[in-house]
Amino acid sequence: MIENRREFLKAALGASALLALNVSPPLALGKASRCARKASRCAHKAPRRARKVSRVLVVVQLSGGNDGLNTIVPHGDDAYGRNRSTIRLPERKLHRIDDHLGFHPRMEALSRLYREGTVAIIQGVGYPDSSRDHGVSLRTWHTAAPADRTGRTGWLGRVADRIGGPSGIDVPALFVSPSSRPLAVRSERTHVAKIRSLDDVAGSLESRAVPAAAPGTEIDPLLEFVREKSAETETLRRTLRTISDEQGSASDYPGFRLAADLRTVAQLIRADLGIPIFFTELGGDGFGGFDNHANQIGNHCALLHQLSESVAAFVRDLAKAKLLDRVLLMTFSEFGRTLAENGRRGTGHGEAAPVLLAGGRLRGGLTGKHPSLTDLEQGAPRFHTDFRRLYATALEEWLGFESEAVLGGRFEPLKILAT
Amino acid sequence: MNAERNDRKPIDPTWAWEPFEPQARHPWTLALAGHLFRRAAFGATWKELERALDEGPLRSVDRLLRPEPDTEAFAERFDDYELAASRGDSVDGLRSWWLRRMIETPDPLREKMTLFWHGHFSADASRCKEARTMQRHVALLREHALGSYRTLLEEASRDPALLLTLGHERSRRARPQDGFARALLDAFTVGPDHFAESDVAEAARAFTGYFVLRERFRFVEREHDGGEKRILGKRGSFSGKEAVEVALTHRATPRNIARKIYRYLVSETADPSDALIAPLADLFAKDHDVGALVERILKSNLFFSEHALRQRIKDPVELAVGTVRAFEGTVATKALARDLDRLGMSLLHPPTEKGWIGGRHWIDRVRLGRRHALTVALLSTGGRYGGKLDPEGLCARNGRGDVAQVFLRSLLLHDDSGEAAAAAGSARSAAHSLVILSEYQLA
Repeated sequence: MIENRREFLKAALGASALLALNVSPPLALGKASRCARKASRCAHKAPRRARKVSRVLVVVQLSGGNDGLNTIVPHGDDAYGRNRSTIRLPERKLHRIDDHLGFHPRMEALSRLYREGTVAIIQGVGYPDSSRDHGVSLRTWHTAAPADRTGRTGWLGRVADRIGGPSGIDVPALFVSPSSRPLAVRSERTHVAKIRSLDDVAGSLESRAVPAAAPGTEIDPLLEFVREKSAETETLRRTLRTISDEQGSASDYPGFRLAADLRTVAQLIRADLGIPIFFTELGGDGFGGFDNHANQIGNHCALLHQLSESVAAFVRDLAKAKLLDRVLLMTFSEFGRTLAENGRRGTGHGEAAPVLLAGGRLRGGLTGKHPSLTDLEQGAPRFHTDFRRLYATALEEWLGFESEAVLGGRFEPLKILAT
Repeated sequence: MNAERNDRKPIDPTWAWEPFEPQARHPWTLALAGHLFRRAAFGATWKELERALDEGPLRSVDRLLRPEPDTEAFAERFDDYELAASRGDSVDGLRSWWLRRMIETPDPLREKMTLFWHGHFSADASRCKEARTMQRHVALLREHALGSYRTLLEEASRDPALLLTLGHERSRRARPQDGFARALLDAFTVGPDHFAESDVAEAARAFTGYFVLRERFRFVEREHDGGEKRILGKRGSFSGKEAVEVALTHRATPRNIARKIYRYLVSETADPSDALIAPLADLFAKDHDVGALVERILKSNLFFSEHALRQRIKDPVELAVGTVRAFEGTVATKALARDLDRLGMSLLHPPTEKGWIGGRHWIDRVRLGRRHALTVALLSTGGRYGGKLDPEGLCARNGRGDVAQVFLRSLLLHDDSGEAAAAAGSARSAAHSLVILSEYQLA
């Protein structure tokens, strides 16, 4: 246990990261220095409302292995059409990016945001010796540790452990989805709670009076800690009640589950609760979802449409609230799919896939080459960008945390953010 | 956070572990009786509290350690329920029967320590294909919960649930798996700082030939490395059992285990000094008798002092099961297990090999709100717990219907300071406002 709060933060974030911090840690930092002065008492004082909305990371998991080749479609490559006689998407229906690439026909909303620069694409993301087993590969993306088959914490769970807890950010991350909590957010000390709606965040929004301590009595530090958390909980409930009464933005979101989850995330961002990380999911529990081994066209259309409309509504909502600059959203899937279709109008498990990003601070455009469609790894495009570089980007360049300890090594961040 | 009690003068170890004898200055009170049941059990019924007040601290601890003989029939009945509920791959049934057992058991200290060992070993049901594997694991913890740690550890080293959790399912002579060896040294015996990587590698060789096949332990002789090993400074051609013995009898082990049990039963706010832990460690080193260690702690001056009182945050199981037990009812424990998941205490799925870190980590804005909501739901007439607990009836049965507020305050907070004004409102609403008090979050 680290006793001193400043040391804790230093250990947790790395000394240099402390300087570069632009997340809620202004709050943590302020707290740390105050605490250093007033050793025991101020430990758990709730920061008063001086806080600004800090940067937020939103991760969207596309469960089942998304077919990147039918998401960002390489129409300009003969090999694409040649290998996909029935599931090939006709060029004229695509939302054209350039002579080579285009968005899936049902991704019009995202293609528009792409042109505006609030959506960007990283191509060819994967990892060495990637597994084509859903469980193993998803596990790898979640733990960020390809070789480790028994690790019990996820990359975001480890981040939560480092920045969260009683001496750090009170709620460092939330999983917003009806699906079961993924390994990605499993942590050792803190707990990344799962919520399905605003009403679900703190039990219920009904108010519970918090009785004050009798004046003059000596308060035990542990009891005082709980009392202060109690007061903060009540403040949280009040805030959530207010925003859940604002029906305003509901109509701007389509009727998809992902849209509802992202709307909840947007409400929580707007409520300025100091929560830096959100995780959500599309495709459902277990496998299925993006795992289209047969007759993929229809199902894939529906999912990409859902993704596109939901993310676009989220982006528009945040832009309207002038908060888009604070948000980076990234999608991922456990693997891409094979180039050739499989005789059942579907595709097999593959390797590299593109990652979609959304936010107000992106450079925009394409990052990385489209993987070759002739030099394949067991029938699937090869990766050239390790997914942990993406994680490093999100942690270091975006949130301002040191990433090496979380990722178990040094990964070079990608140049995807506007300076 | 551990420094907050350092302003007090150091605790005298001799005084600390002597049996507590109530005196005029430090009498045996409801507050202390309640404290005993919050730590050594899952709270108490009013009858239990009255009897304890009547019998005094030492007799009350004896009762917890050696409960009346009807425990065997109860245990057999619940073993059968758990077995029947563990036929498939889901541990949902096992989880709800375990909670049910905690609520109804006549042997609560054993169950409390079973939960302690669950966190200590941290076997994870999601690593097992069959629910039976976890059922056997918990049964093993329960059997030795207050017995010999040597026996418990030896059996744990061959326990399929634990080996599967630690990634130790086929350890071959040529490719030893080190999951169990690492946990043995890091968590189960000497603790961090007392071993080197080479000790892990050498100990791992002692556990070669340990396989889990179809969720059963198998020792495969030809895969066992019978060569010489050097573990924690000792040399020998150790078998797995002998390696366990080497780690168990290392001087750091009793201290490590005593500290862990101290944190569970006495206080999690201050790190005890080595001098304070030494008498416990010495006692434990003799024959690794957990029961004797627990008895020494529970009967001690320190346990019944300010150093221990309310110096622990209730874990979610203590919070919920304690509430249910106090009202002498039972509730739908399948739903309860899921609600406990949401508070961060997923039974049979501990977060990591370190178990539940707990303490202040239990409480954040989100989960404190959920703790309030859960305890209120347990005491509500509608909803998922459907009014199974009956505060009005309980008050009436105890002849306290007219002073429900005062009575419930004594029952739930073990506080008879009596300041509670006779405010209007039903017993149920009084119970609601008591369980959301900050004091109620403390054990």
